[in-house]
This record gives sequence, structure tokens and C-alpha cells, in this order.
Amino acid sequence: MTVEAITPSGERMQLNLGPQHPATHGVLRIVIDTDGEVVANCTPDHGYLHRSIEKIGECVEYPLFVPYTDRVDYVCAMNANLAYCLAVEKLLATDPATAVTVPLRGECIRVLVAELNRISSHLIGVGAMAMDLGAYTPFMHGIAQRELVNDIFEKLCGQRLTYNYVTIGGVGFDLHPSATAEISAFLDKFEVEMVRFNQLITTNAIFRERCAGIAPITAAEAVAFGLVGPNLRASGVDWDLRRDEPYGIYGQLAVRVPTGQAYAGRHGVLGDCYDRYVVRLLEIQESVRQCREVLKILPPAAAKANDPQGGWQADVSKQIRKPPKGEVHCRTEAPRGEMGYYLVSDGSKIPYRVRVRTGSFSAAGIFQHVMRGIFLADVVAVIGSFDIVVPEIDR
Amino acid sequence: MHLGHAVDTFAGWLSGSPDPAWWALGLAIALLWIAPVLLVVFPIAAVGQIIERKVAAAMQRRIGPNTVGLEGPLRFLCRVLLFFLPRARQDRALATFCSLPVVRPLLHLLQRLGLGQLVADGVKMLGKEDIVPAGADGAVFRLAPYLALSGAFLPFAALPFTQHIVMLEVPVGALYAIAVSGVTVMALLMAGWGSGNKFSMLGGMRAVAQLISYEIPVGLALAGVVLWSGTMDLHAIVAQQYRPGVFTLLGWNLLQSPFLCLLGGVLFFAGLAECQRTPFDMAEAESELVSGFNTEYSGLRWGMFAMAEYTEMLLIGALLATLFLGGYQSPIGEQWIVSLPVWAETPLHLLLFVGKFVVSLFVMVWIRWTLPRFRVDQVMRLCWLTLVPLCLLALLGLALTILLAGGTTAGDAYGRLPARDRLDLSLPGHLLAWAVPLLLGGALLWAARRQHGQLHPHLRQLTGGRP
Repeated sequence: MTVEAITPSGERMQLNLGPQHPATHGVLRIVIDTDGEVVANCTPDHGYLHRSIEKIGECVEYPLFVPYTDRVDYVCAMNANLAYCLAVEKLLATDPATAVTVPLRGECIRVLVAELNRISSHLIGVGAMAMDLGAYTPFMHGIAQRELVNDIFEKLCGQRLTYNYVTIGGVGFDLHPSATAEISAFLDKFEVEMVRFNQLITTNAIFRERCAGIAPITAAEAVAFGLVGPNLRASGVDWDLRRDEPYGIYGQLAVRVPTGQAYAGRHGVLGDCYDRYVVRLLEIQESVRQCREVLKILPPAAAKANDPQGGWQADVSKQIRKPPKGEVHCRTEAPRGEMGYYLVSDGSKIPYRVRVRTGSFSAAGIFQHVMRGIFLADVVAVIGSFDIVVPEIDR
Repeated sequence: MHLGHAVDTFAGWLSGSPDPAWWALGLAIALLWIAPVLLVVFPIAAVGQIIERKVAAAMQRRIGPNTVGLEGPLRFLCRVLLFFLPRARQDRALATFCSLPVVRPLLHLLQRLGLGQLVADGVKMLGKEDIVPAGADGAVFRLAPYLALSGAFLPFAALPFTQHIVMLEVPVGALYAIAVSGVTVMALLMAGWGSGNKFSMLGGMRAVAQLISYEIPVGLALAGVVLWSGTMDLHAIVAQQYRPGVFTLLGWNLLQSPFLCLLGGVLFFAGLAECQRTPFDMAEAESELVSGFNTEYSGLRWGMFAMAEYTEMLLIGALLATLFLGGYQSPIGEQWIVSLPVWAETPLHLLLFVGKFVVSLFVMVWIRWTLPRFRVDQVMRLCWLTLVPLCLLALLGLALTILLAGGTTAGDAYGRLPARDRLDLSLPGHLLAWAVPLLLGGALLWAARRQHGQLHPHLRQLTGGRP
């Protein structure tokens, strides 16, 4: 369906969706040329939330940058912490003299919090998408579950949004004694709640019809535009760093990767909004399973923090002051797709360059391509389906 | 005695009199006479917002407004009513009043129900700046809320609230109700166009397309009832649904024929679209059009739009009740109620009528907080390709039923209304009238289900079924 076919008059109206708009999930501006309800062209305009996070990285010592990574993607701060810390560890590992080994328990806790945070992040993603389509209640139910995850994190590290928990060499604090029981109790209840959530919205006929066949992205397009994470997998590309380039203890876990399968049924197309939505829900299920698996292999806590088995934090105070010269790029699978940190070190205690590559940034690149010829009402569905977080785009 | 009739004759008598003092008296009586309706509809529409917030909260596992108390408004009242006392004594009187054993739990209950929030919101709305944007068409922008409100309130004039409270007993009540409610379209268009805002304009255009389309199924549903009852007089339609005996509800139009049942359903859903409620809230569509046609409105003008929305919801409920659910009649034992003296019968009937449309208000709120929104094209497709054909089909079926199985019997006299002949199907006629459409409808539903296909196994697993 070309725009010309729908809009023979060629008379256009320019509409500013944002920077302040209820459906842009932050200060994102999208300039839309419309003819009535049909989008003729849309141009995303970024930069309203630019906070120079990468530049700040060139001014602070390696460990002090961790809190800033929280702000890159505040919806899944644990994963952002983890990505940066893994990058620094990779940099340290380029020289055997400075290499650090994260204790096994620390690795397990890292995966545990990363997956819990993936759950809570996807809850925002799918809930906000439902809200963009006019259904408020599912969002509130999602938020209620996210709050429970936040409760767990609050007990763990004292924070509910920007955790600053994962550190270079491990994690900031050990799990408190009742944590594992609390987490598994939460997971059990959560699965039941998710069934109710899905009955409420996922299989709702109106919701499915709204998302079916909207902005489909073929696998080739998805790869060409550099989509990552769930957005890429929704197009049927079977690629997940946790399985294909495992980091941490993901290599020991069985990672199953859900991909898009034109779930919407009759009007569904592979890689449409509904696939992107359902892939996130299936990933939530997978994360629950992985959390359980980690809880099973979690070694008991040792007395010392840097105990190679039961410790949670390797001592990196010496290494971090004199990191080896060189550059590394480390990528991880965050909820919004690959989150990569590129570090250049000149051997001093402050990085020479920090560069962040994020999933939302890749997703924003394809907006213009997929939004031509769709209805104005679908624009918000498409934005919602990519699950963008604006500070991730602007940094 | 029929109060409306009395006022009519009084007004006729007055019109012969040249004395303006008599006119003023007539006007006062007329106002007094419409007062019950304003006193019933207006507060419920105002409380509608709180009902909505409380129901939404319950559905989202929240508590909803419960912290704003009624101390402020009470203190204000105290200052006004006891103006002759010094402040300290006013306060003491208030404290004594609030600590009375009945008053204190009552105040607490009202606070928990969110009534304090309602007052606070109202005062806030009054205090807000009334902004007319620079690019707006001032006159059109200012006029729109009044039109919206009148479009919502005027149809109530023709609705019988009880036997004795009918403001406008016209023989074409049904036509009148649907005609004056059409004013709302104009109001939304004016608001959308006059705001000088692109989002508002899109909302206004959507509203026009949607409301005009959905007036057709509403009109057809009304036509079905008119066809069945043979009259457009709303009060006569109500009286016709009366049956003596315990189960009065057997006479309700909804239970007369499956076609009428269908038309009732269509009226409800088309009515949802008419009052711009989710899943049909195209014109407002918060997540798409910011707030649609009322984006630029603030303060009391915005409040009028909100009021109009809730009033229209009540109107749809009231129409549904009048046309299909026996109006103000009780589902059981109506015979007993109607034989009561006026002072006892009127409040009972009023309560029943209000109860019926408050239930429909609740259902509308329930739907809003459960379903997502349609897309513009889906809304139009639903109207023209589903509801209108369904209505036509139901009308055809209804006409056939009347033609094949209908006979007239002398109706029952109801209260002060004279007995009229009404349609009555014989027992085989009844059976046929229910069996054939139900079988056909069931077959259609089954076919539609088969065509719709099965859910993907992953989706079935997500919703708790076996993969």
C-alpha cells in the first residue's frame, strides 16, 4: 500500500509528535507528514535527552562510571551496569597481569539480577505498548509485578530504579540470606499473574487486530537496519548473544530463544507489531526459567567476598588503577537488544573514550522506513512495539 | 394527576394573560418542574467521574481517591451558614458536629468513597484559568462546550423518569431524543476546528465521521422498537412493556424477540461509540492525539465536556432502559408498585430508573478499563459492515415475525396511561420467533469461530493452556 495510492491529493499536514507527547515514552520528537490520518513520511528528531554520558565517561575513573550506566537505560539498569562492567573486565583481561576472575557466586547473582531486570523491563515494554493502544489496565498490572521485582532489588542494593549494583569484578553486595527464597516465591506467583495478564490483553481480539500486519519487518530488512534483541528476533532471525556469544555463566545455562512466527494469525505477518510484542512475553517466560536454573546452581555464600566459589566480589582495586593500554568492545544481550560498551584505554585510571551502543538507537533508525503509509494511530503502536527508551537513543 | 399536563394547561392559561408577573410565576413553576430531572441526572453525571475512578482502581488493584476529606467543604459551609457567629465558635460548632457518633463514620465513609476528591476537583476546575489559545477561533471555541452539554441534556426531556416526571410528553419522543442528541457532533466539530490545534482538528474530524456513522445503527435500533410497539411516544413504549403479574420483566422488549435483543445490544455498542468511550474513543485517543478535540480546553469549559460525556453515558443507559428494559418499571411486582399512592410510587420508580442507567454506566466503565481502542478504519468498518447490516437484518426479521406470527391483543391499562392494543405472538409464534433466529445465529457464530482459526500454540501456552 503506497502513500500515493491512499493520498491522491498530495496535500500534507505536518504534525509534531513530541517532544512532549503521551505516547513517545520520553522526550522523543517525531515529525510526521500526514494526509488526514495516513502517515506520508516521518522523521525522528533525537537529542532532546542528550546528557553527555559518553563524554562524562572520559572524565571519571573506571568504577565511578558505573552509576552513569544506570542512567543510560533506567528501565533495566542492572543490564546496563553489567554491560559496562563486563567491558572493563574484558579490557583488564587483555593483560594477564591485570586479569580478574569474578567469583562463581558473583557471576550467578549477576545473571539472576540481569534476568529479573529483563522481566521488569519487558513488563514496562509490553504494558506501555498496551497503554498506547488504549488499554490502561494491563499496564497497571504489569507495573504491579515490576514493583515486586523492585522490592527484591531494593532489599538487595537499596535502590528501586538506578541500582549501581553490578561492579567491576562482581556485585556490590551478597544476596541477603532470605533472598533466594523470596525470589523463587516471587517467580511462582509471577507466572500465575502473567497468565492473567495474557488473558486480559495478549489474546484480546481488538488488540490482536490492531497489531496484526502493522509495520512488518522482514529478516533481511531487520539485519540491514541493524535491529537487535527482541526486535530482531521478532522478524525471525534466531540470534541471541546469551546463547551465541555467551558471557558470564550463560554458557552453562540452557538459553532458548523465542522468535517471531506471525503470531497474530489470520492478518499477521512475520515481524509485525504483534510479533515484537509476543516475543517479549515469551522472553519473560524464558527469563523466569533461567532465574530458576541459576537459583539451582547458586553456590552457598562464603565468608570472604573474593572467595573464588562462594564470593561475590573479586578485589580489583589494584588492577583498575593501571589498566592495560588498548581498546575493547564488549556486547551483551540487554532487554532492548545488544548493549555494547566500547572502551579505549591509554593506560591511565580514566578511560580515554567510552562509547555506548544501544538497542533503542538501532530501533530508532528503522522508524522512517516502517512508518510510511500506516495510520496515525498505528504510529504509537509501532513506537510501543520497539520498546524504545529515549535516554538510550540520546545518551 | 399528571403534573406535566397541569403545567401545560397552566402555561396555556398564562399565555392568554398579558401580565409579566404571571409569566415569571409560570417560569418558576416550569423550573421547579424540571428540577427533579436536573437534580437526578446532574449529580449522577458529576459523581460519574468518581465512580469511574473507583471502578478503574478496583480493576487495576489500586485503591483510588480516598485521602481527600470533606473537612474543607464543611468548614466553608460552616463559615457561610453561621456567618453571624465569631470564627472560634464556628469552629467549635463544626468540631462538635463532626464528632457526632453518626456523622464521623459517615464522613469517613464518604472520604473513602472519594467524594472529597470530587469536591476538590470541582473547586480546582473552577479556579483554573480559562485559556483561549492565540490561534483559536474565539467564538466557536467558547460556544462548543455549551452545545456539547445541551446535546447531552436535552434528550432527557423526552424520557419518562416516572409516571409523573416527564418533562416533554411528545408523540415523537424517540425521534426527538435522537435528533437533539445529534447536536453533540456539531459541538465536537466546533471544538476540534475552533481550537486551532492540529491534534484537536484530527480529533474533531474523527468525531464527526464516527458520530454521524454511528447514528445510523442507533436510529435503526430505535426504529426496531418503534416497529414493534407501533408508536414513537416513549412513555407509551414504556407503558406497553407492562404486564400484570409477578414477573413484570416478561413484558420487556428485550425479551420479546431475539431480534429486539440484538437491537438492544447494537444500541448499547453504538451508544458507546456515540459518547466517545473506549474502545471507540477515537476523538480523544489520549495516546495518539494527546487529548483530541478537547486538548486546548481548560477549567470549566473542559469540565463541561467531561460532564457532557458522563451525561451522554447516562443517556444511552436511560434510552436502553426506556426502550428495552421496561423504563422505570420494576422487573418483578410492578403491579404492586403502580398501585401505590403517588408519593410512594414516584421515588420507587425514580430509583429503579436511575438504578438501570447506573448499571449501564458501570458496564461502560468496565468495558473502558478492559479493552484497548479500535483504529479509525476499524471503527468505521465495524459500523458500516457489521452493525448496520446486523440492524437491517434484525429489522427484516422483526418485520417478518410481526407479519407471520403477530396478532394484536388489547393491552393492559398502566397507571394513568390508557390501555392500547399491542402486538402479541401466539405460543407457537413465540417459539418460532426464538428458535429460528437463535439457530441461525448459532450457526453463524460457529462458522465465524471456525474461520477465525486456532491460536498459535505459544499463545495458548502464554494464556495458561497446554502448548
